Amino acid sequence: MPPKVDREKCDGCKAEKESLCEQVCPGDLMHLGEDQKAFCRMPRDCWDCMSCIKACPKGALETRIPYQLGYHVARLIPMMGTNTITWTCIDLNGKVERYQYRNRGSDD
Amino acid sequence: MEKTKAPSKIGLFIFDPGGGLARAVDLGTVVQKLIKMKNVSRCEVIADIWSGFLVSVKEDLKAGNLNRLLWVGRFSPYQEKIIKAELSAEGLNPYLHEWCDVEEQGVGKEGPDRAVQTQKVMMLVQMAVGRARLIEALEPVSLPAVDAVLIIGAGVAGLHAASSLVKLGKRVYLVEKESGVGGKVASLHRLYPRICDPRCGLEFEIEKLRGSNKLELHTLSRVKGLDGGPRNFEVKIEKAPRYVSEERCNGCGKCAEVCPVTIPDDSTSHLPQNPHQSGKKAIHSPTPMAFPSAFVVERRYCPPQCRECVKACPTNSVDLEQTPSDMTLRAGAIIATTGWDPYPLSKVEEYGYGLYPNVISNLEAERLLENPPELKEVGFIQCAGSRDEKHLNYCSSVCCSVSLKQALSLKERLPNSRFSIFYQDIRTPGFDEELYQRVKSLDKVIFIRGLPSTVKPDGENGRLKIRAEDTLSGKEVTLSLDLLVLAGGMAPSGGTGEIAELFNLPRNNFGFFESHLQCHPEESQRAGIYVGGACRGPMNVGQSIESTHRAMVEALQFIDGTFLVEPTHPLVDKTKCDKCKRCMEDCPFSAYYFDSEGFPTPDLARCRQCGNCMGTCPLTAISLRHFTIKQTAAQIQAIKVSSLPKEEPVILAFLCKNDAYHAAREAADSDAVIPANVFFIKVPCAGSVNNALLADALSFGIDGILIAGCKDGQCHSVRGNQLVKTRSGDLADKLKKMMIEPERVRFEHLEIRDSGRYVELVNSYMRDLKAMGPNPFKV
Ligand SMILES: Cc1cc2nc3c(=O)[nH]c(=O)nc-3n(C[C@H](O)[C@H](O)[C@H](O)COP(=O)(O)OP(=O)(O)OC[C@H]3O[C@@H](n4cnc5c(N)ncnc54)[C@H](O)[C@@H]3O)c2cc1C
Ligand code: SF4
Ligand code: SF4
Ligand code: SF4
Ligand code: SF4
Repeated sequence: MPPKVDREKCDGCKAEKESLCEQVCPGDLMHLGEDQKAFCRMPRDCWDCMSCIKACPKGALETRIPYQLGYHVARLIPMMGTNTITWTCIDLNGKVERYQYRNRGSDD
Repeated sequence: MEKTKAPSKIGLFIFDPGGGLARAVDLGTVVQKLIKMKNVSRCEVIADIWSGFLVSVKEDLKAGNLNRLLWVGRFSPYQEKIIKAELSAEGLNPYLHEWCDVEEQGVGKEGPDRAVQTQKVMMLVQMAVGRARLIEALEPVSLPAVDAVLIIGAGVAGLHAASSLVKLGKRVYLVEKESGVGGKVASLHRLYPRICDPRCGLEFEIEKLRGSNKLELHTLSRVKGLDGGPRNFEVKIEKAPRYVSEERCNGCGKCAEVCPVTIPDDSTSHLPQNPHQSGKKAIHSPTPMAFPSAFVVERRYCPPQCRECVKACPTNSVDLEQTPSDMTLRAGAIIATTGWDPYPLSKVEEYGYGLYPNVISNLEAERLLENPPELKEVGFIQCAGSRDEKHLNYCSSVCCSVSLKQALSLKERLPNSRFSIFYQDIRTPGFDEELYQRVKSLDKVIFIRGLPSTVKPDGENGRLKIRAEDTLSGKEVTLSLDLLVLAGGMAPSGGTGEIAELFNLPRNNFGFFESHLQCHPEESQRAGIYVGGACRGPMNVGQSIESTHRAMVEALQFIDGTFLVEPTHPLVDKTKCDKCKRCMEDCPFSAYYFDSEGFPTPDLARCRQCGNCMGTCPLTAISLRHFTIKQTAAQIQAIKVSSLPKEEPVILAFLCKNDAYHAAREAADSDAVIPANVFFIKVPCAGSVNNALLADALSFGIDGILIAGCKDGQCHSVRGNQLVKTRSGDLADKLKKMMIEPERVRFEHLEIRDSGRYVELVNSYMRDLKAMGPNPFKV
């Protein structure tokens, strides 16, 4: 399921031609609307790759977990460090699991 | 920038001169553990830096056993300087030192548990080692000096400096608050000693400037701010609207012919025969002298609907809707020639200035000289307001010669009139004595030694009655006068005060710019800024011109050559940057421009190295050198949360180096106990903290993050505090979604004096975090 945009938080990447989510989306699905807020053009084509969610500097994007993985209210939230990613996974019962990774292959 | 990556070999020295640290901390254990750390090649406790110690470090450096040094403990700025200087002689770059003052983190006090303090020192030093591994040798960047001089004030002093500089082929910005140039001298009638027309000399300089493409003249302009430093000043100016285009107006004057409003002329409004009007219209030629030639509108006098000038102008130059404009001028050096103001004579109450129309100032008298009305008896009072502790407690130095010049001119026109000059001493230094002798030899010119005690109306006839004691003869003198001229003094100008305030330049007891009068009279006491002319003290035209040339010669050194920028500037990693432009938007000093490939690049001459761009970049593509994201990340990663008891919360604080850091340092030096699990990192500006670092810290299990910056309006990088507040707020919102308490990221304002509040803050945060329980990422 495609990303949900928090319209309060999204600042359209300050009116750039290509917002960060747009640049990063492998399917070129994210776009800026007339109102300078991001939206997903073809929700059915979204792969749930989470790239845009990780890229958004404002924390304005949230994924809706595909039904194969969990029903509505289930969430998967990444947080990007300099060299780390954490994932917070909340299932439909509210059970929380967290994972922490150090990125490899970064330019050390 | 990437050097050959020789492995880091760190020399780690714990400085404990009085043994205080050893009393509070088990240094033996600390050294034992540290020496085992990767990259630590030598580790010992030292009591002083002399007695052969530095020699042994030098040997290790030379032998290649060490290549960077980590100094633990408190070193005075002097000791730091000595160490850097001594070792740089041995080839150690000054940026290969790392300083870790554990005392400012609250360690070293007797009382708190020894084991806990030992652990804190370990942690702090490990953090520092993490950073020290990554520090690199850096060299200052040298940039060409800005090849222009900015001159403030286009009086005789400023004009001469400008024309001489232009003649040398140098670029000049000349900033003047009036609509035209010339200053006070332009309104004088004749100049002593040669009794010639001042406009003649001024016009000569203006002609040279008019034809020059090196001069940029900004009239109706005021300075609003100063940034940068010698060789690279940035001066903000605000330009008031002229309402007439400087490019198009040819000075034909058709507008003034139709303008319905005649305005008072300030310079003549006091004269006895003056109808308070001079035929000057609301739209008029610039004053005092018409350079630039474009007319100017004094809009406050215009009737709201009038558009007569707009219609009459054949060149379509008049635009009554113009608004003020701001601009920034860059110059290598600055010369202030902001001149003097006449002392307000109404303050010298006994002389009746402002009460009686025929009491006038010497400046107003200049206007009378050309065409004086019939006057039988004229009096001059010298030192009106000067050499008087109630007024100007100095000699204004020109007014004796000025009165002599004026008496001479008037006498030519009114040969039968009588002139009485009341004086304390006649001061005509050097060749001005000749003027004195000339006037003394004139018929019906009387010098009376003694200042009048009162000036009163002489009955109803409009004349003045003046009474004084002639101290030479001991006789009382009473006169009935048609006109009384007060030889008013030269006071520091309002414009001088303005600039002194804005530029933070000292002024002497009398309010003129302070300078070293014997040896460096042109120096303002701030490098690259010089002063010339009457803003330095009372002086005549010749002296003003001379002094301003001295300033000019000194200024030249700052517009040639290069200046150095600290190497701790931001660097954009182009392989990471995807041109989102947030750095450009957020830089509080608008330092970024696009390079030829469209990547943001900081203009190093403008950059203040505040790090806000580093803080904002979503891709962590920007780092300040010597304060890189990686270095800080390594520091954070070195906090081994798992080795601390799980129930005790751990706080990581980012403290702005300008204010919050000093508050924390003072708190540590006081009796207050700082909780052991608080670790702070000093940052160039709170706004330099990137969210990715906060995410790192949280993912490593740090329980609470405190970011402390200045109050709104006090941030040294304008709005760095607000930027980080918003960004960390976004992260806190995300934490909420992640089912983590958003209070684990906190932004606070801390002022430099807030040491008490800092202690309260970390303690109450500790309590809050304890109540929340451990960070779920803690393992
Ligand atoms: C009555 C009288 C008669 C005199 N007659 C003689 C004489 O015959 N011979 C002689 O040698 N000397 C004479 N003097 C002295 C002479 O006036 C001064 O030496 C001369 O004016 C000094 O020139 P200046 O350029 O330093 O200052 P000013 O003439 O005061 O010029 C300063 C200029 O700077 C501008 N300015 C000030 N502050 C700012 C600011 N913040 N921003 C932008 N612009 C600013 C002003 O508008 C002005 O244009 C006389 C003085 C008096 C009082
Ligand atoms: S990256 Fe975030 S802030 Fe930028 S346009 Fe996309 S949703 Fe909006
Ligand atoms: S504003 Fe127009 S009318 Fe007035 S002097 Fe200039 S060109 Fe002539
Ligand atoms: S360090 Fe500060 S002043 Fe320099 S470019 Fe970055 S944000 Fe601008
Ligand atoms: S903020 Fe970072 S990614 Fe964006 S333009 Fe600047 S350097 Fe590039």
